[in-house]
Amino acid sequence: MLTVLLVDDDAEFTEVACTIIEFLGHEVLTAATLEEARDWLKKETFDHVLLDFMLPDGSGAHLFDELNALPKRPRITLITGHPSVKGVIKGLCGPNIDYLVKPIQREDIEAVLTGKPKVVEDTSEKIEKHFDLLIGESAPMRELYKLIERVSRTSANVMLLGESGVGKEVVAAAIHRASQSEGPYVVTNCGAFSKELIGSELFGHEKGAFTGAVGRKEGVFEQAEGGCLFLDEITEMPIDMQPNLLRVLENKVVIRVGGTKTIPVNCRVVSATNRTMEEIAQSKVLREDIYFRLAVFPITIPTLRERKEDIPLLAKTFIEEFNKDNGSKFSWQESQLNTLQAYDWPGNVRELRHFVHRAAIMSDPTKQVIELPKTIESPFAKKQSTAPALQAGRTIEDVEKELIYATLEKVNGNKTMAADMLGISTKTLYNRLHAYGDLVKED
Amino acid sequence: MTEDEFARLSTYVHDARKPLNRISMQAELVKMALNGEVPAQKAMAALDKIITSAKDCSDSLSDMTSDFGDTLLD
Repeated sequence: MLTVLLVDDDAEFTEVACTIIEFLGHEVLTAATLEEARDWLKKETFDHVLLDFMLPDGSGAHLFDELNALPKRPRITLITGHPSVKGVIKGLCGPNIDYLVKPIQREDIEAVLTGKPKVVEDTSEKIEKHFDLLIGESAPMRELYKLIERVSRTSANVMLLGESGVGKEVVAAAIHRASQSEGPYVVTNCGAFSKELIGSELFGHEKGAFTGAVGRKEGVFEQAEGGCLFLDEITEMPIDMQPNLLRVLENKVVIRVGGTKTIPVNCRVVSATNRTMEEIAQSKVLREDIYFRLAVFPITIPTLRERKEDIPLLAKTFIEEFNKDNGSKFSWQESQLNTLQAYDWPGNVRELRHFVHRAAIMSDPTKQVIELPKTIESPFAKKQSTAPALQAGRTIEDVEKELIYATLEKVNGNKTMAADMLGISTKTLYNRLHAYGDLVKED
Repeated sequence: MTEDEFARLSTYVHDARKPLNRISMQAELVKMALNGEVPAQKAMAALDKIITSAKDCSDSLSDMTSDFGDTLLD
Protein backbone atom coordinates (compact mmCIF):
# COMPACT_ATOMS: atom_id res chain seq x y z
CA MET A 1 0.00 0.00 0.00
CA LEU A 2 1.28 3.45 -0.92
CA THR A 3 0.48 6.81 0.59
CA VAL A 4 -0.30 9.15 -2.27
CA LEU A 5 -0.70 12.91 -2.38
CA LEU A 6 -2.86 14.16 -5.23
CA VAL A 7 -2.48 17.86 -5.99
CA ASP A 8 -5.03 19.18 -8.47
CA ASP A 9 -7.42 22.11 -8.42
CA ASP A 10 -10.23 20.34 -10.30
CA ALA A 11 -12.36 18.98 -7.46
CA GLU A 12 -14.33 16.62 -9.69
CA PHE A 13 -11.16 15.12 -11.14
CA THR A 14 -9.63 14.60 -7.69
CA GLU A 15 -12.77 12.95 -6.37
CA VAL A 16 -12.85 10.30 -9.08
CA ALA A 17 -9.09 9.84 -9.07
CA CYS A 18 -9.26 9.25 -5.30
CA THR A 19 -11.93 6.59 -5.76
CA ILE A 20 -9.74 4.81 -8.28
CA ILE A 21 -6.54 5.11 -6.22
CA GLU A 22 -8.31 3.89 -3.10
CA PHE A 23 -9.77 0.99 -5.04
CA LEU A 24 -6.25 0.09 -6.11
CA GLY A 25 -5.50 -0.31 -2.42
CA HIS A 26 -3.62 2.90 -1.67
CA GLU A 27 -4.21 5.71 0.78
CA VAL A 28 -4.70 9.10 -0.82
CA LEU A 29 -4.75 12.69 0.44
CA THR A 30 -5.63 15.67 -1.71
CA ALA A 31 -4.60 19.26 -2.06
CA ALA A 32 -6.04 21.87 -4.42
CA THR A 33 -3.17 24.38 -4.22
CA LEU A 34 0.60 24.45 -3.73
CA GLU A 35 0.03 25.87 -0.27
CA GLU A 36 -2.19 22.95 0.78
CA ALA A 37 0.32 20.53 -0.68
CA ARG A 38 3.13 22.10 1.36
CA ASP A 39 1.00 21.75 4.49
CA TRP A 40 0.54 18.04 3.87
CA LEU A 41 4.23 17.53 3.17
CA LYS A 42 5.02 18.93 6.61
CA LYS A 43 2.60 16.59 8.37
CA GLU A 44 2.93 13.34 6.40
CA THR A 45 5.40 11.34 4.41
CA PHE A 46 4.29 10.24 0.96
CA ASP A 47 5.44 7.48 -1.36
CA HIS A 48 4.08 9.14 -4.45
CA VAL A 49 2.98 12.64 -5.38
CA LEU A 50 0.67 13.22 -8.33
CA LEU A 51 1.06 16.86 -9.21
CA ASP A 52 -0.93 19.07 -11.55
CA PHE A 53 1.29 21.25 -13.68
CA MET A 54 -0.91 24.34 -13.44
CA LEU A 55 -2.22 25.22 -10.01
CA PRO A 56 -3.97 28.44 -8.93
CA ASP A 57 -0.95 29.63 -6.95
CA GLY A 58 1.81 28.50 -9.29
CA SER A 59 3.18 25.56 -11.18
CA GLY A 60 3.54 22.11 -9.72
CA ALA A 61 7.15 22.28 -10.86
CA HIS A 62 7.76 24.74 -8.00
CA LEU A 63 7.40 21.84 -5.59
CA PHE A 64 10.24 19.83 -7.15
CA ASP A 65 13.01 21.37 -5.05
CA GLU A 66 11.03 20.94 -1.85
CA LEU A 67 10.21 17.34 -2.67
CA ASN A 68 13.84 16.60 -3.50
CA ALA A 69 14.91 18.06 -0.17
CA LEU A 70 12.65 15.70 1.82
CA PRO A 71 14.37 12.96 3.83
CA LYS A 72 12.39 10.34 1.90
CA ARG A 73 11.89 11.64 -1.61
CA PRO A 74 8.51 10.54 -2.95
CA ARG A 75 8.13 9.50 -6.56
CA ILE A 76 6.67 12.31 -8.61
CA THR A 77 4.20 12.20 -11.48
CA LEU A 78 3.23 15.44 -13.16
CA ILE A 79 -0.27 15.73 -14.58
CA THR A 80 -1.22 18.21 -17.24
CA GLY A 81 -4.39 19.04 -19.10
CA HIS A 82 -2.45 20.63 -21.94
CA PRO A 83 -1.07 18.22 -24.49
CA SER A 84 0.82 21.17 -25.98
CA VAL A 85 3.07 21.52 -22.95
CA LYS A 86 3.91 17.83 -23.04
CA GLY A 87 7.29 18.54 -24.61
CA VAL A 88 8.19 21.12 -21.98
CA ILE A 89 7.23 18.73 -19.21
CA LYS A 90 9.22 15.91 -20.71
CA GLY A 91 12.25 18.21 -20.60
CA LEU A 92 11.54 19.24 -17.02
CA CYS A 93 10.94 15.76 -15.76
CA GLY A 94 14.05 13.88 -16.59
CA PRO A 95 14.28 10.22 -15.75
CA ASN A 96 13.07 10.51 -12.14
CA ILE A 97 9.70 12.02 -12.86
CA ASP A 98 6.78 10.48 -14.73
CA TYR A 99 4.16 12.54 -16.41
CA LEU A 100 0.57 11.97 -17.50
CA VAL A 101 -1.55 13.95 -19.91
CA LYS A 102 -5.27 14.25 -19.32
CA PRO A 103 -7.61 12.59 -20.12
CA ILE A 104 -6.24 9.98 -17.78
CA GLN A 105 -7.40 6.40 -17.73
CA ARG A 106 -7.49 4.07 -14.81
CA GLU A 107 -4.69 1.98 -16.33
CA ASP A 108 -2.49 5.09 -16.49
CA ILE A 109 -2.88 5.64 -12.76
CA GLU A 110 -2.26 1.97 -12.11
CA ALA A 111 0.84 2.06 -14.26
CA VAL A 112 2.47 5.10 -12.62
CA LEU A 113 1.70 3.90 -9.10
CA THR A 114 3.15 0.44 -9.65
CA GLY A 115 5.93 1.86 -11.77
CA LYS A 116 5.27 -0.67 -14.46
CA PRO A 117 4.30 -0.03 -18.04
CA LYS A 118 0.75 -0.86 -18.98
CA VAL A 119 1.78 -3.09 -21.86
CA VAL A 120 0.34 -6.23 -20.25
CA GLU A 121 -3.09 -4.65 -20.12
CA ASP A 122 -2.93 -3.82 -23.81
CA THR A 123 -2.29 -7.37 -25.00
CA SER A 124 -5.14 -8.69 -22.93
CA GLU A 125 -7.60 -6.50 -24.76
CA LYS A 126 -6.64 -7.83 -28.15
CA ILE A 127 -7.94 -11.35 -27.57
CA GLU A 128 -11.53 -11.36 -28.70
CA LYS A 129 -14.07 -13.61 -27.05
CA HIS A 130 -16.67 -14.66 -29.55
CA PHE A 131 -20.15 -14.68 -28.02
CA ASP A 132 -18.27 -13.52 -24.88
CA LEU A 133 -17.13 -17.11 -24.41
CA LEU A 134 -15.12 -18.63 -27.24
CA ILE A 135 -11.50 -17.92 -28.04
CA GLY A 136 -9.78 -18.67 -31.32
CA GLU A 137 -9.29 -17.14 -34.76
CA SER A 138 -8.41 -20.32 -36.68
CA ALA A 139 -10.37 -21.44 -39.72
CA PRO A 140 -12.17 -24.34 -37.90
CA MET A 141 -13.26 -21.95 -35.16
CA ARG A 142 -14.45 -19.32 -37.65
CA GLU A 143 -16.52 -22.08 -39.23
CA LEU A 144 -17.88 -22.98 -35.80
CA TYR A 145 -18.86 -19.35 -35.10
CA LYS A 146 -20.74 -19.27 -38.37
CA LEU A 147 -22.65 -22.43 -37.44
CA ILE A 148 -23.49 -21.09 -33.98
CA GLU A 149 -24.66 -17.82 -35.49
CA ARG A 150 -26.93 -19.65 -37.95
CA VAL A 151 -28.42 -22.19 -35.60
CA SER A 152 -29.01 -19.61 -32.87
CA ARG A 153 -31.51 -17.85 -35.10
CA THR A 154 -33.62 -21.00 -35.34
CA SER A 155 -35.09 -23.11 -32.56
CA ALA A 156 -33.57 -26.35 -33.88
CA ASN A 157 -32.17 -28.95 -31.50
CA VAL A 158 -28.40 -29.11 -31.66
CA MET A 159 -26.11 -32.04 -30.97
CA LEU A 160 -22.52 -31.17 -30.13
CA LEU A 161 -19.94 -33.79 -30.94
CA GLY A 162 -16.36 -33.51 -29.86
CA GLU A 163 -13.61 -35.06 -27.82
CA SER A 164 -13.42 -34.62 -24.11
CA GLY A 165 -12.22 -31.14 -23.17
CA VAL A 166 -12.99 -29.33 -26.44
CA GLY A 167 -15.53 -27.11 -24.72
CA LYS A 168 -18.93 -28.57 -25.54
CA GLU A 169 -20.55 -26.91 -22.57
CA VAL A 170 -19.02 -23.56 -23.52
CA VAL A 171 -20.36 -23.89 -27.07
CA ALA A 172 -23.82 -24.77 -25.69
CA ALA A 173 -23.72 -21.62 -23.57
CA ALA A 174 -22.61 -19.64 -26.63
CA ILE A 175 -25.59 -20.92 -28.61
CA HIS A 176 -27.91 -19.89 -25.82
CA ARG A 177 -26.30 -16.46 -25.61
CA ALA A 178 -26.33 -15.92 -29.37
CA SER A 179 -30.02 -16.83 -29.52
CA GLN A 180 -30.79 -13.87 -27.21
CA SER A 181 -33.49 -15.99 -25.70
CA GLU A 182 -34.99 -14.62 -22.53
CA GLY A 183 -35.58 -18.02 -21.00
CA PRO A 184 -33.14 -19.76 -18.69
CA TYR A 185 -30.19 -21.94 -19.59
CA VAL A 186 -30.37 -25.24 -17.72
CA VAL A 187 -27.57 -27.79 -17.64
CA THR A 188 -27.85 -31.42 -16.67
CA ASN A 189 -25.49 -34.35 -17.06
CA CYS A 190 -27.25 -37.49 -18.22
CA GLY A 191 -24.34 -39.63 -17.13
CA ALA A 192 -24.56 -38.42 -13.56
CA PHE A 193 -27.89 -39.98 -12.61
CA SER A 194 -28.84 -43.52 -11.88
CA LYS A 195 -31.54 -45.15 -13.96
CA GLU A 196 -34.05 -44.59 -11.18
CA LEU A 197 -33.30 -40.91 -10.76
CA ILE A 198 -32.87 -39.71 -14.31
CA GLY A 199 -36.61 -39.78 -15.00
CA SER A 200 -37.31 -37.49 -12.10
CA GLU A 201 -34.38 -35.23 -13.05
CA LEU A 202 -35.59 -34.80 -16.62
CA PHE A 203 -39.35 -34.82 -16.21
CA GLY A 204 -39.87 -33.98 -12.54
CA HIS A 205 -42.02 -35.94 -10.09
CA GLU A 206 -45.16 -35.57 -8.05
CA LYS A 207 -45.21 -35.79 -4.29
CA GLY A 208 -45.15 -39.44 -3.23
CA ALA A 209 -44.27 -40.76 -6.68
CA PHE A 210 -41.64 -43.00 -5.09
CA THR A 211 -39.99 -43.53 -1.74
CA GLY A 212 -38.23 -40.33 -0.85
CA ALA A 213 -40.30 -38.10 -3.16
CA VAL A 214 -41.39 -35.88 -0.29
CA GLY A 215 -42.30 -32.90 -2.42
CA ARG A 216 -43.16 -32.05 -5.97
CA LYS A 217 -40.21 -31.39 -8.25
CA GLU A 218 -39.98 -29.69 -11.62
CA GLY A 219 -37.88 -31.53 -14.18
CA VAL A 220 -35.22 -29.77 -16.22
CA PHE A 221 -37.54 -29.61 -19.24
CA GLU A 222 -39.95 -27.52 -17.21
CA GLN A 223 -37.16 -25.43 -15.69
CA ALA A 224 -35.82 -24.55 -19.13
CA GLU A 225 -39.21 -23.26 -20.34
CA GLY A 226 -38.64 -20.75 -23.11
CA GLY A 227 -34.89 -21.19 -22.90
CA CYS A 228 -32.29 -23.80 -23.56
CA LEU A 229 -31.71 -27.22 -22.00
CA PHE A 230 -28.21 -28.64 -22.23
CA LEU A 231 -28.08 -32.44 -21.89
CA ASP A 232 -24.45 -33.36 -21.42
CA GLU A 233 -23.22 -36.91 -22.07
CA ILE A 234 -26.46 -37.82 -23.75
CA THR A 235 -25.02 -41.17 -24.89
CA GLU A 236 -24.57 -42.20 -21.25
CA MET A 237 -28.31 -42.11 -20.71
CA PRO A 238 -29.69 -45.61 -19.99
CA ILE A 239 -31.17 -46.94 -23.23
CA ASP A 240 -34.45 -47.99 -21.60
CA MET A 241 -35.07 -44.37 -20.51
CA GLN A 242 -34.71 -43.15 -24.06
CA PRO A 243 -38.29 -43.89 -25.21
CA ASN A 244 -39.54 -41.50 -22.52
CA LEU A 245 -37.20 -38.82 -23.78
CA LEU A 246 -38.34 -39.47 -27.34
CA ARG A 247 -41.96 -38.94 -26.36
CA VAL A 248 -41.13 -35.55 -24.86
CA LEU A 249 -39.18 -34.51 -27.93
CA GLU A 250 -41.95 -35.66 -30.28
CA ASN A 251 -45.00 -34.39 -28.45
CA LYS A 252 -43.43 -31.42 -26.67
CA VAL A 253 -45.16 -32.33 -23.43
CA VAL A 254 -43.87 -33.94 -20.25
CA ILE A 255 -45.66 -35.97 -17.62
CA ARG A 256 -44.00 -35.87 -14.22
CA VAL A 257 -43.09 -39.22 -12.67
CA GLY A 258 -46.16 -40.33 -10.75
CA GLY A 259 -48.28 -37.64 -12.37
CA THR A 260 -51.07 -37.71 -14.93
CA LYS A 261 -51.21 -34.14 -16.16
CA THR A 262 -49.37 -33.32 -19.38
CA ILE A 263 -47.30 -30.18 -19.15
CA PRO A 264 -46.33 -28.42 -22.38
CA VAL A 265 -42.62 -27.77 -22.78
CA ASN A 266 -40.98 -25.31 -25.08
CA CYS A 267 -37.22 -25.21 -25.10
CA ARG A 268 -34.28 -25.80 -27.38
CA VAL A 269 -32.42 -29.00 -26.50
CA VAL A 270 -28.67 -28.91 -26.95
CA SER A 271 -27.15 -32.31 -26.31
CA ALA A 272 -23.50 -33.32 -26.25
CA THR A 273 -21.40 -36.43 -26.51
CA ASN A 274 -17.72 -37.21 -26.78
CA ARG A 275 -18.40 -40.06 -29.19
CA THR A 276 -18.20 -39.70 -32.93
CA MET A 277 -21.21 -40.07 -35.16
CA GLU A 278 -19.95 -43.48 -36.41
CA GLU A 279 -19.48 -44.70 -32.86
CA ILE A 280 -23.00 -43.64 -31.94
CA ALA A 281 -24.38 -45.51 -34.94
CA GLN A 282 -22.38 -48.68 -34.30
CA SER A 283 -22.41 -49.00 -30.53
CA LYS A 284 -26.18 -48.52 -30.12
CA VAL A 285 -25.82 -46.16 -27.18
CA LEU A 286 -28.44 -43.93 -28.64
CA ARG A 287 -31.60 -44.99 -30.39
CA GLU A 288 -31.75 -43.92 -33.98
CA ASP A 289 -35.06 -42.10 -33.62
CA ILE A 290 -33.70 -40.11 -30.67
CA TYR A 291 -30.55 -39.26 -32.60
CA PHE A 292 -32.52 -37.67 -35.42
CA ARG A 293 -34.67 -35.71 -32.96
CA LEU A 294 -31.67 -34.38 -31.09
CA ALA A 295 -29.26 -33.90 -33.95
CA VAL A 296 -31.41 -31.75 -36.21
CA PHE A 297 -28.29 -29.65 -36.42
CA PRO A 298 -25.15 -31.59 -35.48
CA ILE A 299 -22.00 -29.56 -34.80
CA THR A 300 -18.59 -31.15 -34.46
CA ILE A 301 -16.28 -29.05 -32.31
CA PRO A 302 -12.67 -29.07 -33.53
CA THR A 303 -10.01 -30.61 -31.32
CA LEU A 304 -7.20 -28.43 -30.09
CA ARG A 305 -4.65 -30.17 -32.31
CA GLU A 306 -6.77 -29.23 -35.34
CA ARG A 307 -6.43 -25.58 -34.41
CA LYS A 308 -2.95 -25.28 -33.04
CA GLU A 309 -2.66 -21.64 -34.06
CA ASP A 310 -5.16 -20.85 -31.30
CA ILE A 311 -2.95 -22.32 -28.57
CA PRO A 312 -1.03 -19.06 -27.90
CA LEU A 313 -4.30 -17.10 -27.64
CA LEU A 314 -5.73 -19.63 -25.21
CA ALA A 315 -2.53 -19.87 -23.19
CA LYS A 316 -2.43 -16.08 -22.88
CA THR A 317 -6.06 -15.93 -21.82
CA PHE A 318 -5.58 -18.63 -19.19
CA ILE A 319 -2.49 -16.97 -17.73
CA GLU A 320 -4.32 -13.64 -17.60
CA GLU A 321 -7.17 -15.29 -15.75
CA PHE A 322 -4.64 -16.71 -13.33
CA ASN A 323 -2.92 -13.32 -12.92
CA LYS A 324 -6.24 -11.65 -12.24
CA ASP A 325 -7.22 -14.17 -9.58
CA ASN A 326 -3.85 -14.27 -7.89
CA GLY A 327 -2.42 -10.80 -8.44
CA SER A 328 0.61 -12.25 -10.24
CA LYS A 329 2.28 -10.83 -13.33
CA PHE A 330 3.19 -13.92 -15.34
CA SER A 331 3.67 -13.65 -19.05
CA TRP A 332 4.71 -16.10 -21.77
CA GLN A 333 7.92 -16.13 -23.71
CA GLU A 334 7.73 -16.78 -27.42
CA SER A 335 9.69 -20.04 -27.13
CA GLN A 336 7.34 -21.35 -24.44
CA LEU A 337 4.32 -20.73 -26.65
CA ASN A 338 6.08 -22.68 -29.39
CA THR A 339 6.59 -25.57 -26.99
CA LEU A 340 2.91 -25.57 -26.10
CA GLN A 341 2.01 -25.48 -29.76
CA ALA A 342 4.16 -28.52 -30.51
CA TYR A 343 2.24 -30.73 -28.10
CA ASP A 344 -0.82 -32.71 -29.17
CA TRP A 345 -3.15 -31.96 -26.23
CA PRO A 346 -5.23 -35.15 -26.17
CA GLY A 347 -7.23 -33.58 -23.33
CA ASN A 348 -7.81 -30.52 -25.54
CA VAL A 349 -8.52 -27.06 -24.12
CA ARG A 350 -9.30 -28.46 -20.68
CA GLU A 351 -5.88 -30.06 -20.50
CA LEU A 352 -4.19 -26.89 -21.73
CA ARG A 353 -5.96 -24.79 -19.14
CA HIS A 354 -5.08 -27.21 -16.39
CA PHE A 355 -1.48 -27.34 -17.55
CA VAL A 356 -1.15 -23.53 -17.66
CA HIS A 357 -2.60 -23.12 -14.18
CA ARG A 358 -0.38 -25.84 -12.82
CA ALA A 359 2.74 -24.28 -14.37
CA ALA A 360 1.76 -20.89 -12.93
CA ILE A 361 1.31 -22.35 -9.46
CA MET A 362 4.73 -23.98 -9.65
CA SER A 363 6.44 -20.75 -10.78
CA ASP A 364 8.02 -18.08 -8.58
CA PRO A 365 5.16 -15.62 -7.92
CA THR A 366 7.52 -12.62 -7.65
CA LYS A 367 8.78 -13.08 -11.20
CA GLN A 368 7.18 -12.74 -14.59
CA VAL A 369 8.66 -15.92 -16.00
CA ILE A 370 6.55 -19.06 -16.04
CA GLU A 371 8.49 -22.22 -15.38
CA LEU A 372 7.34 -24.98 -17.67
CA PRO A 373 7.98 -28.55 -16.58
CA LYS A 374 10.44 -30.45 -18.78
CA THR A 375 7.73 -32.71 -20.09
CA ILE A 376 4.03 -32.21 -20.49
CA GLU A 377 2.76 -35.22 -18.66
CA SER A 378 -0.63 -36.62 -19.13
CA PRO A 379 -1.55 -40.24 -18.66
CA PHE A 380 -3.70 -39.86 -21.76
CA ALA A 381 -1.00 -38.38 -23.95
CA LYS A 382 0.92 -40.25 -26.57
CA LYS A 383 3.57 -37.66 -27.24
CA GLN A 384 4.91 -36.90 -23.81
CA SER A 385 7.96 -34.86 -24.58
CA THR A 386 7.81 -31.08 -24.83
CA ALA A 387 11.12 -31.12 -26.67
CA PRO A 388 10.53 -30.45 -30.35
CA ALA A 389 10.74 -33.66 -32.36
CA LEU A 390 13.55 -32.46 -34.51
CA GLN A 391 16.32 -30.61 -32.86
CA ALA A 392 19.88 -29.98 -33.86
CA GLY A 393 22.23 -32.14 -31.89
CA ARG A 394 20.40 -35.43 -32.33
CA THR A 395 21.89 -38.16 -34.44
CA ILE A 396 20.24 -39.45 -37.59
CA GLU A 397 20.17 -42.92 -36.04
CA ASP A 398 18.32 -41.61 -33.05
CA VAL A 399 15.69 -39.85 -35.13
CA GLU A 400 15.37 -42.88 -37.40
CA LYS A 401 14.71 -45.11 -34.43
CA GLU A 402 12.03 -42.80 -33.13
CA LEU A 403 10.39 -42.61 -36.53
CA ILE A 404 10.35 -46.39 -36.87
CA TYR A 405 8.75 -46.88 -33.48
CA ALA A 406 6.21 -44.13 -34.07
CA THR A 407 5.25 -45.74 -37.38
CA LEU A 408 4.96 -49.18 -35.84
CA GLU A 409 2.73 -47.79 -33.15
CA LYS A 410 0.51 -46.17 -35.74
CA VAL A 411 -0.05 -49.45 -37.60
CA ASN A 412 -0.37 -51.51 -34.43
CA GLY A 413 2.96 -53.27 -34.93
CA ASN A 414 2.24 -54.51 -38.45
CA LYS A 415 5.78 -54.61 -39.84
CA THR A 416 4.85 -54.98 -43.49
CA MET A 417 2.64 -51.92 -43.36
CA ALA A 418 5.20 -49.99 -41.35
CA ALA A 419 7.96 -50.78 -43.85
CA ASP A 420 5.66 -49.65 -46.61
CA MET A 421 4.94 -46.34 -44.90
CA LEU A 422 8.61 -45.80 -44.16
CA GLY A 423 9.55 -46.53 -47.74
CA ILE A 424 11.99 -49.29 -46.84
CA SER A 425 11.91 -53.04 -47.42
CA THR A 426 10.54 -55.32 -44.74
CA LYS A 427 13.98 -56.87 -44.52
CA THR A 428 15.59 -53.52 -43.73
CA LEU A 429 13.00 -52.90 -41.06
CA TYR A 430 13.72 -56.30 -39.47
CA ASN A 431 17.44 -55.56 -39.60
CA ARG A 432 16.92 -52.24 -37.83
CA LEU A 433 14.75 -53.77 -35.16
CA HIS A 434 17.36 -56.48 -34.64
CA ALA A 435 19.99 -53.80 -34.25
CA TYR A 436 17.87 -52.07 -31.58
CA GLY A 437 17.74 -55.42 -29.83
CA ASP A 438 14.00 -55.32 -29.92
CA LEU A 439 13.17 -58.24 -32.13
CA VAL A 440 14.89 -60.85 -29.96
CA LYS A 441 12.11 -60.52 -27.39
CA GLU A 442 9.29 -60.74 -29.88
CA ASP A 443 10.45 -63.43 -32.27
CA MET B 1 -5.01 34.83 -37.07
CA THR B 2 -3.37 37.31 -34.75
CA GLU B 3 -1.43 36.38 -31.66
CA ASP B 4 -4.17 37.77 -29.49
CA GLU B 5 -6.79 35.67 -31.26
CA PHE B 6 -4.69 32.56 -30.89
CA ALA B 7 -4.38 33.20 -27.14
CA ARG B 8 -8.16 33.56 -26.87
CA LEU B 9 -8.68 30.41 -28.90
CA SER B 10 -6.30 28.50 -26.62
CA THR B 11 -8.27 29.59 -23.59
CA TYR B 12 -11.48 28.27 -25.14
CA VAL B 13 -9.83 25.01 -26.05
CA HIS B 14 -8.61 24.68 -22.49
CA ASP B 15 -12.10 25.37 -21.17
CA ALA B 16 -13.58 22.79 -23.50
CA ARG B 17 -10.97 20.19 -22.63
CA LYS B 18 -11.62 20.42 -18.91
CA PRO B 19 -15.15 18.92 -19.06
CA LEU B 20 -13.89 16.31 -21.55
CA ASN B 21 -11.24 15.21 -19.05
CA ARG B 22 -13.92 15.00 -16.38
CA ILE B 23 -16.14 12.91 -18.67
CA SER B 24 -13.27 10.52 -19.27
CA MET B 25 -12.60 10.11 -15.54
CA GLN B 26 -16.28 9.62 -14.73
CA ALA B 27 -16.50 7.01 -17.48
CA GLU B 28 -13.69 5.09 -15.78
CA LEU B 29 -15.77 5.19 -12.61
CA VAL B 30 -18.83 3.82 -14.45
CA LYS B 31 -16.67 1.01 -15.80
CA MET B 32 -15.57 0.15 -12.28
CA ALA B 33 -19.15 0.24 -11.04
CA LEU B 34 -20.23 -2.12 -13.82
CA ASN B 35 -17.42 -4.45 -12.80
CA GLY B 36 -18.77 -4.34 -9.26
CA GLU B 37 -15.57 -2.74 -8.00
CA VAL B 38 -17.32 0.31 -6.53
CA PRO B 39 -20.95 0.65 -5.41
CA ALA B 40 -23.45 0.82 -8.28
CA GLN B 41 -24.96 4.12 -7.05
CA LYS B 42 -21.67 5.79 -7.94
CA ALA B 43 -22.32 4.98 -11.57
CA MET B 44 -25.58 6.94 -11.52
CA ALA B 45 -23.91 10.00 -10.00
CA ALA B 46 -21.04 9.68 -12.45
CA LEU B 47 -23.42 9.51 -15.43
CA ASP B 48 -25.19 12.66 -14.23
CA LYS B 49 -21.84 14.40 -14.05
CA ILE B 50 -20.98 13.17 -17.52
CA ILE B 51 -24.17 14.79 -18.84
CA THR B 52 -23.40 18.03 -17.01
CA SER B 53 -19.86 18.05 -18.36
CA ALA B 54 -21.06 17.37 -21.88
CA LYS B 55 -23.33 20.44 -21.59
CA ASP B 56 -20.43 22.48 -20.19
CA CYS B 57 -18.29 21.46 -23.09
CA SER B 58 -20.98 22.29 -25.60
CA ASP B 59 -21.52 25.68 -23.92
CA SER B 60 -17.90 26.64 -24.07
CA LEU B 61 -17.77 25.68 -27.74
CA SER B 62 -20.82 27.88 -28.36
CA ASP B 63 -19.13 30.71 -26.47
CA MET B 64 -16.14 30.30 -28.69
CA THR B 65 -18.06 30.45 -31.93
CA SER B 66 -20.06 33.48 -30.83
CA ASP B 67 -16.92 35.26 -29.61
CA PHE B 68 -15.09 34.64 -32.87
CA GLY B 69 -18.24 35.41 -34.83
CA ASP B 70 -18.31 38.82 -33.10
CA THR B 71 -14.70 39.37 -34.15
CA LEU B 72 -15.69 38.79 -37.74
CA LEU B 73 -18.51 41.35 -37.48
CA ASP B 74 -16.24 43.97 -35.97
